[in-house]
Amino acid sequence: MLSRVGSAKRVAVLSIAAVFAAGCAHADEEVSIAPLVPAAGRVDPGLGPGTRALSSGPGYKSSPSWSPGGDRIAFTVDGYVVDRLTASGDLRNWTTRDFIAEDTEWISEDTLMILGAASPSGTEETPSSLYRARAAEDSLELETVEKDVSAIGPGRGGLIFALGRGAFGSGLALTRGSGDVRRLYSESIKGRVASLSLSPDGDEAVVAVRPPGDLETSGLYVFDLRKGIGREIMRLDGNQEIVGTPQWTGQYLYFVAGEKDEPIDRDGSEPLYEIYRVPQEGGATEPVPGVGEDFVAASIRVSPDGERLAVIGRLNLKSPTNLYVLDPLAKDLTAVTTNEDMEIKTGPDDLAWSPGGQSVAVIARGTPSTEPEVRADPADRLLRDFYNLYEIPVDGSEDAPR
Amino acid sequence: MRDIIFWLSGAALAFLVTAGAFLLLANLATAPSQERLNPEQARVGSGQSVDLILDREQIASLRYLPDQSLTLIVENEGGEQLSDVSVTLNVFSENTALPNFRHYRQTVQKIPAGEAARVRFEFDLLVREEPVARPPTANPEQSREILEIKATTPEGNSTVRTVILPP
Repeated sequence: MLSRVGSAKRVAVLSIAAVFAAGCAHADEEVSIAPLVPAAGRVDPGLGPGTRALSSGPGYKSSPSWSPGGDRIAFTVDGYVVDRLTASGDLRNWTTRDFIAEDTEWISEDTLMILGAASPSGTEETPSSLYRARAAEDSLELETVEKDVSAIGPGRGGLIFALGRGAFGSGLALTRGSGDVRRLYSESIKGRVASLSLSPDGDEAVVAVRPPGDLETSGLYVFDLRKGIGREIMRLDGNQEIVGTPQWTGQYLYFVAGEKDEPIDRDGSEPLYEIYRVPQEGGATEPVPGVGEDFVAASIRVSPDGERLAVIGRLNLKSPTNLYVLDPLAKDLTAVTTNEDMEIKTGPDDLAWSPGGQSVAVIARGTPSTEPEVRADPADRLLRDFYNLYEIPVDGSEDAPR
Repeated sequence: MRDIIFWLSGAALAFLVTAGAFLLLANLATAPSQERLNPEQARVGSGQSVDLILDREQIASLRYLPDQSLTLIVENEGGEQLSDVSVTLNVFSENTALPNFRHYRQTVQKIPAGEAARVRFEFDLLVREEPVARPPTANPEQSREILEIKATTPEGNSTVRTVILPP
């Protein structure tokens, strides 16, 4: 027993000495900090499994648009237009860096239609024009298709676009696959067209309109592209506005709307917007069933097969922003991303279905720090520090989250 | 009596081990002024390598004003002396449409094996006026400035650090 106590004392003394030696030793002045995962198509853990980066580096990215074959994706960076192979590759410029694009649409594998304006010379507002750009040409010259264009959307075999007509009116036109204007409709729409998209069969267009004298986009029209006539479907009351592009699936028109001047909500972020639907022939507008009463919507986009809606929004005010897919018939809302610490961009044109409907491109970044950040990669390889494009698998992929 | 001494010693030992562990953790959590980011991820090339060490406090003291300076340490991690190590600093905006890219370069003549050299850059950090009134769709946010520092040996081995300064 004596030896046991003596041994215990020795162990205790040695342990105490070791603990103090380790605990009081000053840490090295230099420490290793694991760098971020570099770009180039790696899976990004911030949005869920299967996510693939489609861009990297600095720049405010917007308006992704997949080429018809799905092997390239175009988008705007700080206003100018670029594209790249989805598999890999460098960016290819379509405009000079002083160009300010609002939207882009492919009309063939090598032709991009661009809505935007060359750099304004002063502070006066410059109306946007529709331009055509071809990949085969070496220069960044753009060919003007039409001036005073307010909205574009993919058309059947070309493009559909809205152009200003007088002070308070708009007209619609179609282009061929070459980008030439094929049909200019004579019937005018009262108001300024803010956005438009096609019906599933491509014979009609749903159009969001800012009526004359109204400060907000509040009217919804359906325009028959065969007969060349349009009709108003509904108009929102008060300060309510339609944001983004209305979508058409099944027998309903879907749109995101809310009160523009509504006070900032309780978490101090943004006004509340919901997804609504209205029958294509007109009638009562109602909140879309299946998303939940507290859902805060930002943008929607119908799938290529016309049966599902990609939705960027939040389940409630306390939830993170995620990408969801809504099956309107089944009234089923499925989360596609598992966002924990990313800021998913909520602009009306900041999501795009791939042509096959197997994935959706979104734009996201990590939460910016208020302190300087040091990274161990060149700036053009960084992902989370800047808004970048990500391909999110929706279905047809084993990695797609359910 | 011996049992009491034994158990008291055990209790004291457990207390000291716990306290020591907390002391150790507290020391580890103390942020050092200088950072050596894991260089393996940022190196290009093979052969003798260099490391870049930045002073965190100095980076935090940078302001959007003229006459800013940054001193960094270029460390020779190899077993042989390095000659003519190129150190570059690129300063540019997060907004890639703004034409304000600035490039600075210095050459370190000699760095003995296992030693380091200090390199100082002087530059302006100015929030430049945008040349035109760009609409919010182009970029509605206040842009951050980026410092990209690169050390390259004559053999082509390089190490990069990117500093992103808040607006």
